Amino acid sequence: MNQNSKQRIGLVLPNIPAYSETFFNSKIKGLQESGFEVVLFSKSKSNTKHPNCKTVFAPNFTVRPKLVIELVLIIWQCLMHPNNAFSLFQLNRKEGLSIKNAVKNSCINSYFFSYQLDWLHFGFGTMALKSEHVADAIHAKMAVSFRGFDFYVYPEKNPKCYDLLFSKIVQYHVLSEKMKMTLIQAGIRATTIFKITPAIDVHFFEPVERKVNQPIKKFLTIGRLHWIKGLEYTLEAFAVLKKQGIPFHYTIIGDGIEKEKLMFAVHQLGLQDNVTFTGKISHQEVKDYYVKNDFYLQYSIQEGFGNAVLEAQVMGLLCIVSDADGLEENIIDTQTGFVVPKRNSKLLVAKIVEVLKLTETEKINIIDRSVARIKTSFTLEKQREQFVNFYVDTSIL
Amino acid sequence: MEKYKIAIFSGEIPPATFVNRLIIGLAERKVQLLLVGHLKKRVSYPFDNIKIVGYSGRISKLWLFLKYSFLLLLYKSKDKRKLDLWIDKNAKNKILAKIRFYPILYFQPDIFHLQWVKSIADWVWVKEFNIKLVVSLRGSHINYTPICQPEFATIYKQYFPFVDGFHGVSANIIKEASKYNANSEKSKVVYSGLNLEKFTFTTNKIDSKPLQIISVGRSHWVKGYRYALDAMRILKDSNVKFTYTIIGVEEEEELLFQRAQLDLQDEVVFEKTLPFQEVLERIKAANVLVLPSLEEGIANVVLEAMALGTLVVSTNCGGMSEVIQHQENGFLVPTRNPQEMAEAIVAIDKMIPEHYQNSARNARKKIEENHTEIKMIDDMLTLYTNVCESK
Repeated sequence: MNQNSKQRIGLVLPNIPAYSETFFNSKIKGLQESGFEVVLFSKSKSNTKHPNCKTVFAPNFTVRPKLVIELVLIIWQCLMHPNNAFSLFQLNRKEGLSIKNAVKNSCINSYFFSYQLDWLHFGFGTMALKSEHVADAIHAKMAVSFRGFDFYVYPEKNPKCYDLLFSKIVQYHVLSEKMKMTLIQAGIRATTIFKITPAIDVHFFEPVERKVNQPIKKFLTIGRLHWIKGLEYTLEAFAVLKKQGIPFHYTIIGDGIEKEKLMFAVHQLGLQDNVTFTGKISHQEVKDYYVKNDFYLQYSIQEGFGNAVLEAQVMGLLCIVSDADGLEENIIDTQTGFVVPKRNSKLLVAKIVEVLKLTETEKINIIDRSVARIKTSFTLEKQREQFVNFYVDTSIL
Repeated sequence: MEKYKIAIFSGEIPPATFVNRLIIGLAERKVQLLLVGHLKKRVSYPFDNIKIVGYSGRISKLWLFLKYSFLLLLYKSKDKRKLDLWIDKNAKNKILAKIRFYPILYFQPDIFHLQWVKSIADWVWVKEFNIKLVVSLRGSHINYTPICQPEFATIYKQYFPFVDGFHGVSANIIKEASKYNANSEKSKVVYSGLNLEKFTFTTNKIDSKPLQIISVGRSHWVKGYRYALDAMRILKDSNVKFTYTIIGVEEEEELLFQRAQLDLQDEVVFEKTLPFQEVLERIKAANVLVLPSLEEGIANVVLEAMALGTLVVSTNCGGMSEVIQHQENGFLVPTRNPQEMAEAIVAIDKMIPEHYQNSARNARKKIEENHTEIKMIDDMLTLYTNVCESK
């Protein structure tokens, strides 16, 4: 346990959050401003430190020339903190790991040993795998965030991967009520689960005046080009819209491994003149696209919550989303936007057509409601408060 | 054809099944063959007219480089100098280029047959040595590579005019290639062919319940399995009892997630790639083979199912309509349309046995007419002859 009055939180992330990753950066900043000390533990191979907080890197065995140095460091950490190393070894042995695997586990987790932490918080569920006993070994409380992919998708390929984690005393952070319910169904006590939704900088993203009755309807989606975002279904819906003779343009911001598939879909569906891929662009440019477009689509197959949908709402775009996981809470159907059952391009296009027929007053009412809701419920200030409570309220553990 | 020497570049050795069928068929007709490629696994053919030049590790590459450098110096030093100049000017990896090109130059075939057209820019040099260039137009390399990677559209447009003969796996693909300056007069459809003695026709499976549905193919977005799973959900909603097996996609995250999200764990099975003979047995045991692809040349697995007596539901993509006549010998449904795919499967489920057998027999007949190994080799030899006789 940290002896200083300042609580020290170890945040475990796969990479150092880039400047544009507002969620983690604002969380780190908020915690620091609220009097917490944050140490970032990262499995990143790049070794670029976070500009505002202490950064510790996991041993990297992929660079051969560094192998000897890494091994020396591991041995050094274990020798300097024999209690932590031995405690982790014993916990793993109790769990049934062979001596060899228990030693191996202590080695890969050795970068935690020299830090006295109040909390060890794994930023994604998958980050806690193979480190389930570390918090116990270093006498810290353990917290885990589930964000979507780690919760819904990863276990399909790796069944039972969270069995050990779920048997531990952990405080969970989830993004949506739906996720909380699923965790409860998995046997987790409700009192240990905190729902803290993503939040946005409502001072950076502000509503703008839009021209009404534009002849070409402009739609926008932001997200990596990955199957999880349901972009193929979205493009198929647009192919139907085109057949109906409705003039539109659809911009997709983001890059990713499935660009080829989506480019082919655009070609095969005859949407070359209607769809633009911008690739990855800056935060400011994203804001400009919010200004230039009227409708925002997030027809994901799976979505933790959908930060961009929050941004789009506060910028005054009319949002149509799928009912995937957190999106159902992000938008209140018919009140602050529209929710369509996922994986059904026919239903999506029907909803788009319906939304296009709304009167200006109806549109404005929806937008006003969504702007007001975001500005009260999804601000960084509110999120900061919730995270402070998350770390302070430990009676449940 | 005995007088002709053909070099076949297949990328990898052993080559894909359909390229292998071509190689064996040509060897049986006494064509002198040189097979060049990256050696993945040792392979031997029972023919002394096939010479294999495969490179793998550093030592084998060094050996090939030294051997053919020496032989060329000894017998074709002038040509070697000319090729070296070309390599210096055009090749990025000069040593690798020499390892790949020297055996071809030494062998001096009448025809160099490139199986995978994406690497055409590397092989136009053969024209400078009086070697005719034939390229195969196969699925992905024509159907979507130049669309998704426009730099290939430029490469194709630049180099296709140098090609002496195009082998198209379907009429459709030849039409597609003509968008990139492929001369259709120099193109010939050579349909993939099967040795039908190895494909026993059986149609006695219509009574098996639940309906056994199968797909076979590598795990790739172009195969469109996502649409097939959506179709299976529609089937389930319609209370059709079925099992659907996809062979070749064991650990695909997207499909695993989709199966769980659509609650199809009890109906849908993913299996790893199986040996060819086992795949045929599985197709034989199924009532329906589904090809949900977004694009294809002509899918070999469909030809195999038709030969074996299993009815096919295929998307109407690429050259599939050249082999399947809707409701005559199988079912054609639009691409990206799970609803119609499901309806076609239901139609098969409801077929009376006589109707199923008639359609299956029509399918077999189609294969016997157009997709025998003998016809494939005859057609390929015709293409080679035309190329060699053209000026």
